Amino acid sequence: MNTLRKYFVLACLLVPFSLTFAADGEDGRHWRKVSKPILEKHCSSCHNAADKKGGIDFDNFYYIPSVVRRGDMWLKAIEMMETGEMPPPQKPRMEEHEKKALKDVVNKILNEALADPDPGASVMRRLSHREYTYTIKDLLDVDFNGQKFFPKEGSGGEGFDNSSGVLFMTPLLMERYYMAADSIIRQIRSDKKHWRELVSTSYRPSLLRRSLNWIQGIFSDETPRWAVPVSRARQVVVPFATRTYRGFLTQEEETGLIDFFNEVYFEKELWKKRDGFDQAMATIFKRILVSPSFLYRTEINQPIKRPYSISGLELATRMSYLLWSSMPDDTLIQVAYREDLHDPAVLNRETRRMMASPKFHRFAESFAPQWLGVEEAMKNPQADKELFPEFTGEVAAAMRQEVIDYFKYVFNDRENLLELLDSDYSMINGTLANHYGIEGIEGEEFRKVNLADYGRGGVLGMGAVLTATSLPVRTSPVLRGQWVLEQILGTPPAPPPPDVPTLEESEAADSELGLRALLEMHRSSPACSGCHAKMDPIGFALENFDATGKWRNYYKGEVAIDAASVLPGGHEIDGPAQLRKALVEEKDKFAENMARKLVSYAMGRGIQFTDTPTIRAMKKSLLESNFNSKEVMLTLVNSYPFRHRRSDGTDAYAKK
Amino acid sequence: MSANKISRRTVLRGLGASIALPFLPSLMPTSAAAKTFNQTGTAPQRFACLFMPNGVNPYHWSPEQVGTNFELSRILQPLAPVKDKLLIVGGLSNKNSFRTVEGHYTKTANFLTSMRITETVDSDVNAGGMSLDQVMAQHIGRNSLYPSLQYGIDRMRSGVCKSTGITKLYGSTISWPDPKQPCSLEIDPRMAFDRMFRNYVPGKKQVAEDPFKKSVLDIVHEDAKRLEKRMGIEDRSKMAEYLNSVRAIEKRLENQSSLEDFEAQITPDMRQELKKMDIRIDEWAEYTEGVDVTEKVRIMLDIIVLAFWSDASRIATLMLGNSASGRNFSFLEGVHDSHHAISHHKSDPRLLEQYARINTWHIEQYSYLLQKLNGIKEGNGTLLDNSMILFGSGLRDGMRHSPADLPIVVGGSGGGKLKTGLHHRYEERTPLANLYHTMLTAMDIPSNGFGDSTGELCELLV
Repeated sequence: MNTLRKYFVLACLLVPFSLTFAADGEDGRHWRKVSKPILEKHCSSCHNAADKKGGIDFDNFYYIPSVVRRGDMWLKAIEMMETGEMPPPQKPRMEEHEKKALKDVVNKILNEALADPDPGASVMRRLSHREYTYTIKDLLDVDFNGQKFFPKEGSGGEGFDNSSGVLFMTPLLMERYYMAADSIIRQIRSDKKHWRELVSTSYRPSLLRRSLNWIQGIFSDETPRWAVPVSRARQVVVPFATRTYRGFLTQEEETGLIDFFNEVYFEKELWKKRDGFDQAMATIFKRILVSPSFLYRTEINQPIKRPYSISGLELATRMSYLLWSSMPDDTLIQVAYREDLHDPAVLNRETRRMMASPKFHRFAESFAPQWLGVEEAMKNPQADKELFPEFTGEVAAAMRQEVIDYFKYVFNDRENLLELLDSDYSMINGTLANHYGIEGIEGEEFRKVNLADYGRGGVLGMGAVLTATSLPVRTSPVLRGQWVLEQILGTPPAPPPPDVPTLEESEAADSELGLRALLEMHRSSPACSGCHAKMDPIGFALENFDATGKWRNYYKGEVAIDAASVLPGGHEIDGPAQLRKALVEEKDKFAENMARKLVSYAMGRGIQFTDTPTIRAMKKSLLESNFNSKEVMLTLVNSYPFRHRRSDGTDAYAKK
Repeated sequence: MSANKISRRTVLRGLGASIALPFLPSLMPTSAAAKTFNQTGTAPQRFACLFMPNGVNPYHWSPEQVGTNFELSRILQPLAPVKDKLLIVGGLSNKNSFRTVEGHYTKTANFLTSMRITETVDSDVNAGGMSLDQVMAQHIGRNSLYPSLQYGIDRMRSGVCKSTGITKLYGSTISWPDPKQPCSLEIDPRMAFDRMFRNYVPGKKQVAEDPFKKSVLDIVHEDAKRLEKRMGIEDRSKMAEYLNSVRAIEKRLENQSSLEDFEAQITPDMRQELKKMDIRIDEWAEYTEGVDVTEKVRIMLDIIVLAFWSDASRIATLMLGNSASGRNFSFLEGVHDSHHAISHHKSDPRLLEQYARINTWHIEQYSYLLQKLNGIKEGNGTLLDNSMILFGSGLRDGMRHSPADLPIVVGGSGGGKLKTGLHHRYEERTPLANLYHTMLTAMDIPSNGFGDSTGELCELLV
């Protein structure tokens, strides 16, 4: 007995230990044995929990999953180790055998992680304000501007507002959802025809029924209930809720809705009112529109360890929110129900159909301004009104539209995403033509105009981009260069050092005339030159565009603009047209960046290391199909992460 | 309908200048808290925080002398009318803002949490802790209709900072009811005003509360509970946000006595004031939206004053701008560039001058709020006396992005709990959270500390 107890106590003590150490097994022990001494010797004196230089803490990679989680960082670290960038020159050099050992063990871990496909984390997503707006439009044919009505939100992932991690629910937002539902239903009720389309049946208790109820009321306290209104309610409510919840109702859900009808109609005595049935319906609709099943895109969580295919209807929902920012249409629901949406032939057919629909313009409208990062600048322009009186709200709105229409045209009609970087045309209207100094274009309507003679074409000639990357009173070659590196090529420069040294010659700081001299200074300072040598030349090539995107040949009418510069690697360029050609040369980086943006937008989360195979496949599709837009979308919807799900809580690589 | 609209506009124009005047505190009756005051002998305490982005010109912020006998510095000059009700605290640092990878956003979200934020684009947004205002909301805010208010001037920042891997939403919000969840920011004066006061504006169509609202909320509450059972861990935390939000509205519907107290306070005189405010917001929306940011700030501040006065709420935060704000301040004399660009002054005297002017504009807005509160009688003192109104920035010198020796002022004494008319300097690197801990003590909120605090600032307590 005593011995047994001892063993029991011992077992209790040991179990947690063995669990901790067995978390990543033999491989984990190997990883620690190899990496720990090397990291401690060469890396963690700067990159530790306290200092976290560059945001990296090498003490934080005890277990294999933590390595995989930051696989991208590790690849970069190995690269820097091999090029000799790290450890920095003043620190002891790494031995060749140490380098090899670290590289081998990291590669092994990362390759093994990619061998098993992993869809990554998929956390339930609340509808973004844009998605709410379009879903209401498609569901109820009501125009309700959610983006204006709801509190503004931030972005996540690669910079999109549909990232689950930043779609919060707050008391204020919940209040607004209620008000929104109220106002939407009120609007429909105010239009009899519209209301009857939604509530095809009605009910009023007959005189006999009312008399019976009255008599019953004398003898009993019980609330009268009878069947006809209930079955009519069911007839309306069940199909409506099914559509709204984007999935079949469970028995429980259906019962819940009918119970609610009983409550408001019988117990709260709406039946006594003339329009009691319709009032009850309106209340139920409101209730459905504030339900979590509508406001969140929920997917069934299977209690299994392996990733699994999502259901047809769930896939349909992912597709429609990707391509239409809204719920699936009836056709797609039918397909999901009757055919196998996971079958590539069916999936491709439906995706093509959806891309051909007029609703697909919402993708351009949502994706393009967010990708280019011009949304904020165009909705809240900061250009100085005295210096740029011609830059009105109307011009800003037209600039935003140019981005959307151009993206749409390139995507749908040209089917060539490389034309985003380089072309000799854009989509403009009279307002914008006037701003750009282009003659002969009048009227509100946006149309394709050849701009070869005006130095424009592609996103780099767009007012929205040029304004968003300027300061209120002047241009900033640095910001424009940074923008190209970050948004177009996906290779953002490191942030400036925390304590930027004072520049003696800062006299010219707020004048465009001496900008070039100042920036030459930047580049002569070792702390700055690394990044500014990449950013500034790009910005110089765009100096002919002023802070609101107008063309100019002189600064303040005096000093001629010099748009010549030298890109890193010695590539000489002069002006925007040559810059565009130089960018097209970087198609590899552009393709990778585009792939990352699309995956992040589609999945509603940031890119994880486990997305690497998908990113590679999309990049390949772009490079091999001459940047065909439709092809890359097909690759995306067919990808493993897009069609699969990992049971929530089993994601080995998710942060705990 | 349209004829109505035209006549309304004409009326607006006809009223002209007279309505552009902010409401006059002298017309306002004693604050709503008078009732509480009579019952308990003490007025409720209020707290507000005004956040200024991009730091300060370090040469013109701190008063030269410490103690009670000090001259206001150049930037602080607009506070002269309320100088004896100020507490200027120097030397405080938000230590968890040190060694972050990025200059602004990571030093904004934690301004009131004093903890380290998680550097992330989206998957694990976390400000390290609950923010000071939300701790106060839990204790003293829950007795009012709206436990707390969160206002801003600009749209929340969109996008992510790719080079540092940070979502820019960290730069737009300082209020965190939960470390993992920021509050929504109200930036529209019309919505902010209507939410609390719409039904009390004479001549305005009243919006009746939906009789079924409570039933609807009860039932969706059950929906969420049911869904939760089929969910995994991550999704459940999302559902918890939903449930908390529903619960917050239910609580307000149930809180009849607060509503009655609030309504009793809305006297006929006050209704006229609300009407002026209502027209002023229309005027702003029609003529100066997007043009006159000063007027927008003042409307938001006046709404905070109205909320404090009527006891609709006791806690508020206002972001005077998002961090790294590029607001074009050329409407100020002698200023020629965006706020953020100027804050990177490179020690250029001309930029430093513009920087000081922008800082002064922020202090003017703060002073406007303090003076408004000071004009409203409450008990033996004023509403300001019963408040603690914090003003500050997450940086000191914008060029250095340094979170040491932060610019911090408190207006009001929290009902005689804090010393005022004082400039006190602490040793460098005293945690900012020590001030927050002290403020919690001043509110009789029990705590074992706050954020990374190491103790209280006893010198500041009466």
